[in-house]
Amino acid sequence: MPPLLEARDLSKHYGQTIALESVSFEVHEGVTGLLGPNGAGKSTAIKLFLGLIRPTSGSAEVMGERPYESVESRARLGYMPETETLSSNMNASEFLMHMAQVSGLPPSHARTRAADILRHVGLDEERYRPIGQYSTGMKQRVKLAQALVHDPVLVLLDEPTAGLDPGGREEMLDLIRRTAHTFGISMLLSTHLMGDIERIADRVILLEGGHVAEQGELSQFTKETTDLLIEVDDHREEVAAALAKRGVTVVADGSLLVAQDASDADYDVIRDVIAESGARLRRLSPRRHRLSEIFLGPES
Amino acid sequence: MTEARGEVYDLGYQRYDGPREGRARARRAIFENGVRTVLGLGRGPRAKIMPVLLFVGAMAPAFVFVIILSVAGPLAGFLPGPADYYQVVSIIMILFAAIMAPELLCPDRRDNVIHLYLVRPLTPTDYVLGRFLAFFVIVLVLAYSGQIVLQLGLVLTASNPMDYLRDNWLDIPRFLVAGVLFAAFIAVVPLAVAALTTRRAVAAAFVIGLFLITSAVAGGLTEDAHCHDEEGALAPCTPGEGGAVTGDAAKWFALISFGDVPIRVNDMIFDRENESATARAAAELPDVIPIGVYLLFTIGSGFVLWWRYQRIRV
Repeated sequence: MPPLLEARDLSKHYGQTIALESVSFEVHEGVTGLLGPNGAGKSTAIKLFLGLIRPTSGSAEVMGERPYESVESRARLGYMPETETLSSNMNASEFLMHMAQVSGLPPSHARTRAADILRHVGLDEERYRPIGQYSTGMKQRVKLAQALVHDPVLVLLDEPTAGLDPGGREEMLDLIRRTAHTFGISMLLSTHLMGDIERIADRVILLEGGHVAEQGELSQFTKETTDLLIEVDDHREEVAAALAKRGVTVVADGSLLVAQDASDADYDVIRDVIAESGARLRRLSPRRHRLSEIFLGPES
Repeated sequence: MTEARGEVYDLGYQRYDGPREGRARARRAIFENGVRTVLGLGRGPRAKIMPVLLFVGAMAPAFVFVIILSVAGPLAGFLPGPADYYQVVSIIMILFAAIMAPELLCPDRRDNVIHLYLVRPLTPTDYVLGRFLAFFVIVLVLAYSGQIVLQLGLVLTASNPMDYLRDNWLDIPRFLVAGVLFAAFIAVVPLAVAALTTRRAVAAAFVIGLFLITSAVAGGLTEDAHCHDEEGALAPCTPGEGGAVTGDAAKWFALISFGDVPIRVNDMIFDRENESATARAAAELPDVIPIGVYLLFTIGSGFVLWWRYQRIRV
């Protein structure tokens, strides 16, 4: 399967400032996280794939085409920007219908698409209210909706959870994951939040200082460790003390207990201790690495 | 008897496999949305007040002239005709353009909607052209509508309509050509100003100020002085007589009045003698100069408009 996006020795310089330097990566179907701190080159990469700027050298291809040579290739791309980009006077229905037409859909189809997408993002009831009256979370949904209204092959999301409270963030990530995994629309999620990537991405590309620092399947970075996570509903301290007494190194991690560097024999010890203490076991599973431990070091 | 059974389907997200019309549809959408925006279509009643008022204001002179013609008949020869019409409505048309042009451009940049346009199959040039054409067409329809009403009035109130048409048929191609040039100028200058700010009120005030101030300055610098009648009393100067306060340079100062630029071209097309001081001063220049000024201001404004949108960074 050819890649949806392909950067080949891609460089972009702004005068003396190097935004990207000879980076190469591919984006395939599924959800890909483009991770990196501010100034890493994420936005520059997105602009290159949208054809808004030309590379200094190398190439940025979208489904085999160079978007900075022909704007037609953008017809199958969606883009959800980080900044406020919505018309405050229009209602969501009219706005989406217009955006569908600007993406090339005839008016009758645009009307149907606008209605479908507003239902999909949960704004069906609010579609005739002016967007200026929407909450931040609703505006984020309209931004996602306008990126989906023309049924793109790939959507580029720039910090989609920016400005949302924890509940709104969960809902937005869930909506993105559902759209990607259930309906097969690929996503490139640009963010500096590792938690967002861990929640929904299949693959990750880490940019640092205009270079690709790491890339690969997310599972490759979040492999299981030899630590065991123990979650009990009660008798937590009693279990911890009993395990320590039997030679298992246990540390508390929030509401969890972590049995460090556990061997196969330790599983039996843990089982026995929990049975003897009468604690109700909720979870016993190997701990996985977190992206932050890999990219920022274990101290993070 | 079969049992009636109902099923509920959750359609959810639907993939789209209908037609995709690409850049051509995108351009058309920008044009159509521009027309709707100026006319306030698809928005609340408040958005329609200003375009309706300005439309009525721009059409009113034509209807008033026709009513007077129908009452006074041939006695109404003093009324302005097709050659004068664009000058008569130019103030209200400039007001219309100054207020409505910013509606087309400023909100898209203020709300950053332009960023969503420019990531679609659309170039900045497509966007600017679509917006300009939308506004140009509305201004042109407005200009033509008044002329058509006036022409119909003149024909229908004439003692012999066929004779009138035979004698004055040239007015029709003249007002069509002059209307295009008038509308192009009236549309592009306010759009160029609106491209430089995100605040509609600032753009509108600047355009109105630009036309008023340049007209006042040109008027002041070309005002005739030292003309007297045979009894020695002050009297209006005739071309070639007396002199403006700025002397021979008056004819050049006359060119700076923005409002007069398309009117001078209109006068050439209709072969009309314009009695205003600036028009009389500018009449001393070869025809190519006012035409050149018209082209310079129109194409220059178009270039500013285009250039501004090439510099927008998403």
